[in-house]
Amino acid sequence: MENQEQQANAADALTQVIAGKLDYLSTMQAAVQHGDDRKIYELLDQVRYYQEVKKTRANRSVNHLAELVDNIHPQISHYLSDNLIDYLGHIYPFFYYEEFTTGMFHIYFGNWWDRRLFGDLDVINVRFEFDKTEYQKLRDSFGLEGQGQRLNTSKIEAVSAESEKLQELVDAQATRDNEKTKLRDQLKENSGKSSMPWESGKVKGERQEIIDQLTKLADEDEKALNAHKQIKENDDKILVLSKEDTILNYEKQSIRDAFDDFEHFEAHNASLYADYLNSLLGKSEGEVTVDD
Amino acid sequence: MINENDPSTLTTSGRLLNYNEAIKDGLQTGLTFTKLMDQLIRTTDADELVSAATQLADFQLDSDYVTFPHQYSNADYYLLFMSRMLELHDQGSQVILQSRDHREELTQQLTTLGDRGTFSFRVESSENGGVFYRERATGQSLFYLNLERKMFRFNSHALTQLFIIDLHETVPAETVKTSVQVLLDFARYLKEDYGYSVDFNILDAANRQNYSVRAADLPAGIVDRLFVTAAKNDYMLTNGVNGNGAEIALDNNVVVDIFNNQLEGQPEWVLTVHDDDQKISWFDVLLKYPFMRDWYLENLTDLEIKSDPLVFE
Repeated sequence: MENQEQQANAADALTQVIAGKLDYLSTMQAAVQHGDDRKIYELLDQVRYYQEVKKTRANRSVNHLAELVDNIHPQISHYLSDNLIDYLGHIYPFFYYEEFTTGMFHIYFGNWWDRRLFGDLDVINVRFEFDKTEYQKLRDSFGLEGQGQRLNTSKIEAVSAESEKLQELVDAQATRDNEKTKLRDQLKENSGKSSMPWESGKVKGERQEIIDQLTKLADEDEKALNAHKQIKENDDKILVLSKEDTILNYEKQSIRDAFDDFEHFEAHNASLYADYLNSLLGKSEGEVTVDD
Repeated sequence: MINENDPSTLTTSGRLLNYNEAIKDGLQTGLTFTKLMDQLIRTTDADELVSAATQLADFQLDSDYVTFPHQYSNADYYLLFMSRMLELHDQGSQVILQSRDHREELTQQLTTLGDRGTFSFRVESSENGGVFYRERATGQSLFYLNLERKMFRFNSHALTQLFIIDLHETVPAETVKTSVQVLLDFARYLKEDYGYSVDFNILDAANRQNYSVRAADLPAGIVDRLFVTAAKNDYMLTNGVNGNGAEIALDNNVVVDIFNNQLEGQPEWVLTVHDDDQKISWFDVLLKYPFMRDWYLENLTDLEIKSDPLVFE
């Protein structure tokens, strides 16, 4: 008897749970049919929705219903991306998106030559997942602006200075050759000197000094020999660095044009979810109303 | 048996008759020549002009029995032809033909360029035939012309060396442009009126013109360099429309693209210049934009636009 009752209660409970899930899915289905993206977002993450959009303090219990659609996220993302990217296009006119596989989007910064792959767009969570290294470069480059510097200014200066030195070494070849001739003559003279025992230390010292100088000159000769190759390599290095600076400059300019400064840009990124869903609230006429 | 080719078999009068015939032939050749010269110098009919020039191009005036001590070279007839062709198109004043006092030899100057350049044709000695239009001081062959094969080919290397490099400091761009326009017009008349096959090369202003660069597989650094230098000059090199190259929008809707023209297999990097009126060529871009000129010249080994390899080595 008791057993039967328990069994019936269990069936009831299960039926309710299943009904809840069916309800969730049919609400989702209706939202898709009516093009109500806001509702879909609400269903995907009710906790976040109520916190960030409704701004209610009350903690809603996590119902895990959203897990029902976990394995169709790519499809949902693909569907939602259409309106989201439209919206982003107005606010972030410098980002370009490439759906590299269903529902997964790369973000490119700008449309200039060799623009950077800047990260991914998380459509489901309405969030930019910026590439950490690239993002840090941009942040640093804004920081350096105050000092009138670009990210690679000091690196470029260092490489240029090295090339200049190498060029000087090449240019000074004739001077070195003269000096070597002189030193060799001195060396001959030195070895011709009759070395009295009390002088031998001094002569030896002189000799060593001449040899040291000759070695130093030979080292410089060798460096000068490889200088052209090294200078060419440095030119390539400088090109890579200036290219990166040029790209960062375009990025900074884009951000300034749209947000005035980096802080505003970051603030917008932080409130993107709420801003986007609020924008959807305004135009959701075919909204599906569901009791909850 | 009498063999006309073997004088020993001939009688004396037979020999004299042969001799007389040979002289008559030689004189006849001379007469034909003077007629063609008349035609070349005087005709107001462009067809007759081309016909005279084509015949004179490889005319043999001397024969075994009659020779003419005073002769212009075949190359000079080309100069005459060029002047007359321009004259028939009311552009006669744009070139000046100069003859030497005691020698039968012509040279030419482009009126706007004045004594910055003296030009003449040089006959190509190989069996290809045809002539090269050369600047005499620098030896640059600006174009190749073959009347018999109706061929005309501009040479990007020589045009660049002479007009973009050598005369850059001393001659204003506008003057260079009007001077080169004369050569361009001459080629255009041959193409439009006589169906010549003309390669305008870097002077071609048509939008569809692909200028192939020498390094078919262009090193990436070269486009990077343009990107950096363009930014310094307030122009932006963007990703090309087709995604396999770059594009730069200059002033007045002039757009230069540099891209790999082959989607598969062997790469073939080319330049294109687009403008609304199809009046701007790569040459014009080089004249107008110092940073494009510098970029092109600094990377000339890789970037130089190819000329017809059958004509220019």
